[in-house]
Amino acid sequence: MQRILNALLQFRNPILYFFLLTISLSITNNRSAFHEYTLEKYGFYFSSKLYAFQYSISNYFNLGTVNRQLLEENEKLKAVELEINKLPLYPGALIKPQRFPYKLKKATVLKNSFQNQRNFILINQGSSHGIRPEMGVISNNGIVGIVHSVSKNYANVISILHQDLKINVRTTKSPAFGSLVWKGGSPLEFKIEDIVTNANIHVGDTIITGGMSFYFPLGIPIGHITHLEKNEENGYFSIDAQLFNDPSQVYYVYVLENQDFEELESLQKNIVQ
Amino acid sequence: MNIFSISAIITFISLVLAQTLLFNHFYIFGFVNPIVYLLFFVYYRFESNQTLLIGLAFLLGFFVDFISQSGGAHTIASLTVGFLRPILIRYAFGATMDSPQSYFTDSRRINKLIFLVLMVLLHHTFYFTLVYFSWDAFYLILRNTFITSIFSLILIGIILSFYPNKK
Repeated sequence: MQRILNALLQFRNPILYFFLLTISLSITNNRSAFHEYTLEKYGFYFSSKLYAFQYSISNYFNLGTVNRQLLEENEKLKAVELEINKLPLYPGALIKPQRFPYKLKKATVLKNSFQNQRNFILINQGSSHGIRPEMGVISNNGIVGIVHSVSKNYANVISILHQDLKINVRTTKSPAFGSLVWKGGSPLEFKIEDIVTNANIHVGDTIITGGMSFYFPLGIPIGHITHLEKNEENGYFSIDAQLFNDPSQVYYVYVLENQDFEELESLQKNIVQ
Repeated sequence: MNIFSISAIITFISLVLAQTLLFNHFYIFGFVNPIVYLLFFVYYRFESNQTLLIGLAFLLGFFVDFISQSGGAHTIASLTVGFLRPILIRYAFGATMDSPQSYFTDSRRINKLIFLVLMVLLHHTFYFTLVYFSWDAFYLILRNTFITSIFSLILIGIILSFYPNKK
């Protein structure tokens, strides 16, 4: 106590000065609207800096919640986007409304790989969430794969980076369709097979899903054509394509549920029999 | 209550009145308003109580502000000069044993002039900075500080020449 008093006595002049300075500043503040405004401006500057700092910290801890909210929002928006995308591709689609039997379910990627020639992805949604085998899986900018096997809470997805998986594709300009197959090297480089040479396609065309399977609706953008060569011997193009999105680096995916799947499946069985 | 305290009070009151009633109505060149109440810091003896001087400096500026109905600029500038006066004295007269007891007991003209110039510049810088209180007026602050300081110094010099140099 004695020391505190001593210190106070020793620094009595600066203390008195700053005390009186505060008083005079408050007098200035009260008596002049201009000074009040200017001081308020500085005060606001500092407080806003402080709040911004506080906000950035709380923001960081809220990231998980925000991510989840964004994912939910994206799930809805993606469904709308898919439905809208395919419309202009059907002739007369704007006049006759089409059914859109796909529904989206969001999922998080738990395990992903691209080193093997046949890669699989593990996602955190399973049969209890309504996931069944043979559902298409897409990401925010491209397709990811097809569900292979399902347990109660998890599902195994055949990655698009799988040499046996062929995806039905076409370009936005031409209705000729072919199959997209991974080359096995870089996760971005694919080749497209089975497009006949009389089709009207060019380098730079956007590749979209063809809609000739039960897994993916028509019109999901996948990538673009980088190289085009006419193979005169067999009458097919040999096409190199590059994906928009690296499938080995997706963390959130959407599983496409085709609500007409069983109906279509039973139809096909009848044909086979 | 010795003779010095009474004369200090009289100086205090007369300086406040002189500043507010007389010098605040000077408009040399239309904008220069000399500030002479700084004479109080000259008159206040160097070895007297510093804490009291800070309080008096605050009151001096406060009364000038109050009567001339300005903002708090005089208060803050005067308070700062009162607070920093020991440093000004040390700069102007040196920190040796022969530092004078008051302004009037010293006979070194150059040191006295340096003290006055430093004090007036310090006061005017604070005063005009607070009056304009904006970076945009930087040039105005510099111009006013410089020109007003010259006239304040001239007036302070004239008034000081009436005081006898006590040995």
